Amino acid sequence: MRRFTTLLLFLCLAATTSFGGGYQVGLHGMRNIGMGLIGTSQSYDASSLFYNPGGAAFVNEKWSFSGGISFIMARGTFQGKDVSYQATLKHEINLPFYFYAAFKPTKNLSIGIAVNTPYGNRLTWKDDTGTDWQGRYLIKDISFKAITYQPTISYKFKDIIGIGVGFVYATGNVDMNKAIPLQGANGDGNVNIKGNTSNYGFNAGIMVHPDKGWSLGLDYRSKIEMKVKGADATFTVPQSLSSQFPAANKVDVMLPLPANLDFGVSYEFGKDKQWMIGINLCYVFWSTYDSLVFDFQTKTTAVGRTAAPTLYTDQMIERIGAQYKINKTITIRAGAYYDPSPVTSDYMNPQTPSLTETGLTCGLSIYPLKGFSIDAAFLYLMGAKRSATYSPDNFAGTYRTGFSIPGIGLSYSF
Amino acid sequence: MKKILFIILSLAMFTACERKIDTFQVGQGSANFTTYIAVGNSMMAGYADGALYNSGQKNSIPNLLAGQFQLAGSGTFVQPVVTSNYGVGYPGAKPKLVLGYPVDCKGVVSLGPVYSDGALEPVAPVGYKVNNLAIPGAKSFHMFVPGYAQYNPFYARFASSATNMVVQEIAPLNPTFFTMWLGDNDVLGYALAGGVGDSITSPALFQQAMGGMLTALVANGAKGVIANIPDVTAIPFFTTIPYNGLILTKSQADSVNMAMSLYHLPFVYQKGPNPFLVGDPGAPNPFRIRQMQPGELVLLSVPQDSLKCRGMGIINPGTFFPYPIPSQYVLTADEVAKIQTATATYNQIIAGLATHFNVGLVDMNAKLKELQNGIVWDGIKMNTTFVTGGVFSLDGVHLNPRGCAVAANYFIDAVNSKYGSTIPKVNITNYPGVIFP
Repeated sequence: MRRFTTLLLFLCLAATTSFGGGYQVGLHGMRNIGMGLIGTSQSYDASSLFYNPGGAAFVNEKWSFSGGISFIMARGTFQGKDVSYQATLKHEINLPFYFYAAFKPTKNLSIGIAVNTPYGNRLTWKDDTGTDWQGRYLIKDISFKAITYQPTISYKFKDIIGIGVGFVYATGNVDMNKAIPLQGANGDGNVNIKGNTSNYGFNAGIMVHPDKGWSLGLDYRSKIEMKVKGADATFTVPQSLSSQFPAANKVDVMLPLPANLDFGVSYEFGKDKQWMIGINLCYVFWSTYDSLVFDFQTKTTAVGRTAAPTLYTDQMIERIGAQYKINKTITIRAGAYYDPSPVTSDYMNPQTPSLTETGLTCGLSIYPLKGFSIDAAFLYLMGAKRSATYSPDNFAGTYRTGFSIPGIGLSYSF
Repeated sequence: MKKILFIILSLAMFTACERKIDTFQVGQGSANFTTYIAVGNSMMAGYADGALYNSGQKNSIPNLLAGQFQLAGSGTFVQPVVTSNYGVGYPGAKPKLVLGYPVDCKGVVSLGPVYSDGALEPVAPVGYKVNNLAIPGAKSFHMFVPGYAQYNPFYARFASSATNMVVQEIAPLNPTFFTMWLGDNDVLGYALAGGVGDSITSPALFQQAMGGMLTALVANGAKGVIANIPDVTAIPFFTTIPYNGLILTKSQADSVNMAMSLYHLPFVYQKGPNPFLVGDPGAPNPFRIRQMQPGELVLLSVPQDSLKCRGMGIINPGTFFPYPIPSQYVLTADEVAKIQTATATYNQIIAGLATHFNVGLVDMNAKLKELQNGIVWDGIKMNTTFVTGGVFSLDGVHLNPRGCAVAANYFIDAVNSKYGSTIPKVNITNYPGVIFP
């Protein structure tokens, strides 16, 4: 017990770290969230379908279900460079969820489906005066969400190696508003872009149990290009400019969901494997996102094809987590992670105010019945204060964000 | 154990709500903004869209600066308020320009500046002392003309006495800080007149007047900044109509070529853009005309209907004689060179005075050159293009509110750099550009 307390404190102190730099969301299983979002080398329940399909075959029970939801409460502040001005991220609740179901027709084979929300971004900026904020010509509000559906098959050889692969079908929708710096009697112009799309990818992984208590996992989730063809682009501009901004235009937008390569190792020890500690290294191929292109179908001198440079850079997320089974009824967890921002200081767009983040997590599972658990987790995420510019628009300032993310889920295996 | 978890969770919940950033720390540095005054011409008065009107005046560069200086302890900044939102009614005054739908001589309706329809404010003394001493139309040496109020209605509105020189307004205000942007009209007046009917102030007189003003301004130990003179040939008033804005069809070009050969004039016309004709006393032909050259400028004041329908710049369809653009609507290469030479000389003088009087300097000339290439702030792209450039008002000479905000920030940069102060900049996104119907 004392050892655990020490460990927990150690993690809390060490954890000056991270969550979803960019628009990647890591909330895919309450047990994993409790342990610093690790999961590549774990096979406790059906969440392995997502974290590492190679691990699904190691789940012992014939049926395994897991589902849950997180409540992202974001706080953010922006201080404009050289101006006496602050804006805040409007408090919006974002609800990433997951649902996994796995079935084992034989001892070594598992089939299942994973449904979750690995990418998303939702924010609204406003300032204290309640009017449109200083960065409104870059972004006023955006809601972007991708849901993936992943049928998966997993097979293990003896009890040593498991491999698995899932086909990923992703759907996404986007709804965003930005102001246009052309004023009429009613103030700024505005453009709203709204559309949805779908595309495919895959998720493949391998898990190895080389020795008693040890587990290693490697997982690759492919990039998915979310091409929104013919999204509705609705311009609101002064009457005299309406010919330059056709009211019911269409626009093509492409947003890549970056590939991830995750490596994890964990060790279970103590009486009845009471303890588990693990680490994850997650390499995110962010550099695929080098520009955000809007290609309007009806082109005029004012609207055409624009490519806003984003120049994201690949990043490595480092995670550590631990769990301790207090007794048959209660398991507790803690973890931490460090998620460096993929955005360089010259390309910081308030559309995705991506800061280097430090995450600190705690979690708890309660088993009222054998095989059935109520899982809760809490993630506290601090974005490091950062002064940066979006140079193409010469928009500069200091950003600071924080997230409180409680979540709850249920798991049932039998 | 649960207790510990509970404490950690509560702590995390609590701290998550506090993601604050320190607000901007304002500091006056070695300057004292207690009593701020502004000196200058129309650019500082808030003149825009061809008029001095209420909202333009509220967005004047000095008024925007005063708002920022007030964060560092500056007192009330008083302007000679124009109540009318259309302009001041001196003889010959027109109400402000707005964007509308003028119909040209060919019956074509297009988006363009038109005079607004509203009541001008009669010229009358405001009856109080003002901090913004900027006077539309004033040249540097006008500051030392006794009874200048008789010649300039804008000064008459706030002159302390009918016989005063403008420079005499300064001492009673006892300023601690000043901004001066004066001297544009010493060359702009000549340029706006197409080089006809106005003259460029001599460098000696310019130096004497500008130096005299600074002497008066710093007399009580006031600190301040001065701005230099932008090359006015870069502003939309001179760059909107191209020297080769004569667009001809193939058959029109053929007819014109035939006419020119009849007059033994060596000018050749083609389908598409062609140079306008202008008068030139030295031209080797009996008409004393020639085609405009690249770099020569047509003024925005040129009668557009004459260009479009009456053959101005080419051939008068009534008389079939060549019809050059009258010289008051054109800046020839010689005139442009005179303007640019004078501007460079003035700016040397201003730089010398800034050093001599130990005041800050705003290099507006360099800033206007930057603007020509395009600048961007907070996602607003701006340049010197008429109307769509987003900086100049509809008169093509003066700044609109957004342009004033940009210029005010150049002043703030100079103030902060000279006096080690930390005055926050104006938030440019709060100020509109040209208002579209």
